[in-house]
Amino acid sequence: MKRITRILTAAALVAAVATPAFAQAKGYPSRTVECYAPGGAGGGWDLTIRTVSKTLTDTGLVKVAMPVENKSGGGGAVFLTALQSMKKKDNVLTVYSPPLLFININGTTPFSYKNTTPLARLITDFGAFVVRKDSKYTSISQVIEDLRKNPTSVKFGGNSAAGSMDHIQFLVVAKAAGLTGLKNIQFISFQDNAGAAQLLGGHIDMLSTGLGDVRGLVESGDLRVLASTAPVRPSFGVGKDVPTVREQGIPVDFLNWRGIFGPPEMPDYAVKFWRDAFAKMVKTPEWQKSCETNGWVQNYADQPEFLSFLETQNKLAREILSELGMAK
Amino acid sequence: MNEVFSQLFLGFQVALTPINIMWTTLGGVLGTIIGMLPGLGPATGVAVLLPLTFKMGPVGAMITMAGVYYGAMFGGSRASILLNTPGDGAAIATCFDGYPMTQKGRAEAALAMSAVASFIGGMIANVAMVFVAVPVAKFSLKFGPAEYTLLMLFALAATAAMSKEKILQGFIGMVFGLMISTIGLDGLTGVNRFTFNILELMGGIDFLIIIIGIYALGEVFKSFKSVHDPSYKMQTKFGKITFTKEDWKRSWPAILRSTPLGFFIGALPGAGGTMAALMAYNNEKNLSKHPEEFGKGAIEGLAAPEAANNASSVGALIPMMTLGIPGSGTTAVMLGALLMLGLQPGPLLFTKQPEVAWGMIASMFIGNFILLIVNMPMASILVRVLSVPAKVLYPLILGLAFIGTYAITNSVVDFFILIAFGLIGIFLDKAKIPTAPLILGGIVGSTMETSFRQALMLSDGSPKIFYGSTVTIVLIGLTIFSIAWPFVAGAIKSAKRARKA
Repeated sequence: MKRITRILTAAALVAAVATPAFAQAKGYPSRTVECYAPGGAGGGWDLTIRTVSKTLTDTGLVKVAMPVENKSGGGGAVFLTALQSMKKKDNVLTVYSPPLLFININGTTPFSYKNTTPLARLITDFGAFVVRKDSKYTSISQVIEDLRKNPTSVKFGGNSAAGSMDHIQFLVVAKAAGLTGLKNIQFISFQDNAGAAQLLGGHIDMLSTGLGDVRGLVESGDLRVLASTAPVRPSFGVGKDVPTVREQGIPVDFLNWRGIFGPPEMPDYAVKFWRDAFAKMVKTPEWQKSCETNGWVQNYADQPEFLSFLETQNKLAREILSELGMAK
Repeated sequence: MNEVFSQLFLGFQVALTPINIMWTTLGGVLGTIIGMLPGLGPATGVAVLLPLTFKMGPVGAMITMAGVYYGAMFGGSRASILLNTPGDGAAIATCFDGYPMTQKGRAEAALAMSAVASFIGGMIANVAMVFVAVPVAKFSLKFGPAEYTLLMLFALAATAAMSKEKILQGFIGMVFGLMISTIGLDGLTGVNRFTFNILELMGGIDFLIIIIGIYALGEVFKSFKSVHDPSYKMQTKFGKITFTKEDWKRSWPAILRSTPLGFFIGALPGAGGTMAALMAYNNEKNLSKHPEEFGKGAIEGLAAPEAANNASSVGALIPMMTLGIPGSGTTAVMLGALLMLGLQPGPLLFTKQPEVAWGMIASMFIGNFILLIVNMPMASILVRVLSVPAKVLYPLILGLAFIGTYAITNSVVDFFILIAFGLIGIFLDKAKIPTAPLILGGIVGSTMETSFRQALMLSDGSPKIFYGSTVTIVLIGLTIFSIAWPFVAGAIKSAKRARKA
């Protein structure tokens, strides 16, 4: 009797240890992959992860279902906390962009990109500095010059909170142009994406936003882009007609990158699978078409490159936020 | 003008294909059902549809989503009238006179009037959408931070005046609402206020949770004592879903006045259906010859917000369609869907993809008819909920309240907030503090505060920005009028009475 128990125990132990190993060797992923957007439906993160999930399943690169769930709050910090309790899971994916770095630096959350498993950087949008069609400004250098004389002379706003995307991307440019006293430049934050309407109505002078977000109004000629933060002009979309900050003599760029992340300590076989899947996905015509319709620039980077990229970006963001007195 | 008709004709050609009629009906009915459930509003309904839109194509997707939006306005009032539990924010004002009508045994008339008022409000707004969308969009751009500040102030002043019988309690409620609205991340400085390191509070407390807590949960808590009361009488006999000639005579001017108001408030980014409905209600009460009947089952007090919230759901589509800017939570999701389908919303949408833009507008005419036809028989079934014993009904409401809350942000923390506001609801009831000023304070507070500070940043600290434009001066005038009017009206009345005597 004792022996039987022992054999059974041993068998159970072997099974318990062997099952995951077996699963990874053959047919991973075998169950539903949970995709999370750390922001609300219809937003940038939501759009990205939904497009990724659709492309991967449509092209047959992933054969299991990849439903998307929205877990918004705290500028992405709420889901980052939730992600910590999904440690070692092999079937969880999410998407983040530069705010992942900001929310850690400004003290919103103790967790950073180091508490995730970065898998791949997929795309970038670029920052754009936009004015009304009848604005007196024709280049970003003129704006910088006016700010140099009087830091409150240009009323500039954006759709993110102070100390986040729209604010920082302009200050990165201002800093590179040699402007000091970044703290004195007022940033007017608008809620509910009201920024573009406020610019159109003549209430502010310049809007700092994403190039993709104002595409419709730029194409119709109601708004004019002074400069984008792209390193070089993209070959398609509105970006190809927009001068870069670099072209105007300010040696800097700012990428609104979006990448895919797994939970902390994601198992190796899963990491390998997803790195491989994304490498293949970015080459499919389906993905290229989605990028084009959304105005995204492909900017694929595999895990090692993505990691070192995150490190430099994090350093840059910390410098700016420290100068603003917003770093914790 | 001819151009508009030919475009609209094209729209009807698109909208009247069998498949699109099906999408219209599906969207509208789904919206009605979602609207009825507390917490599940149009934004959730549209988000649920998001994964399906890939299969529907752009026209089908927009038609269905718009259907969910105005369908929810039809549905939201059902629970307000029958259970004193608004299905979504835009239906709060419907509680004020809808539920008293039910208590008087006039639920059938209330349901019928709400459907008809919604229908008329929606239809007139659709016509306005066809002809004045662009000028309205242009006018709405005149609203900068200073104008928003004054608009919110006007809304608050009107609400405070609304509770003039108990003005002190009204103000206590309002201030409490304003205090709640300060919770969360302050966008202008990036500082967290009153969040106590709870990340879920960073976005502020969603006012829908406050509404569900105070109304749905509060209602259940309050009735704990009376559940086993044998004298509790249920309605067992039900009449036809219709209203009298007298009801109609009192309601039609209210509907006609509230529709343009709702339409315009809806078209302002960030204002929305709740504000439209509450302002329409206040407006009617101020203009009424017998304001004392308001809150005790005055049918025009029900018709006004119902027309206004439907009109506002149409108005809210304007910034999205003409400028590519989301005007509300629901249109933000619709905008995302458009992008995912490869369309670029913005000024060129009407010329580049006329079949989508005009197809959706035409479908809204058809949808309103369908919803009116669907809602009448549906109401005659729904009204029977009044014959459900309290001990069965209240646990159901409790369950729905929690499901609805979870659906808003998928967060468990909200459950605790919900329960807290349920308890606060009992307290407010005992202290006779009216809930409308509290809720409106909660809704407009953060916009008002942020707009105020934005305006001062723009003017470099000069208060001149608040009286520097025509719009601001008109808004100041309206605010003063709405505060003074009840007193002036009262004085005139007593003067008349004195003369008679």
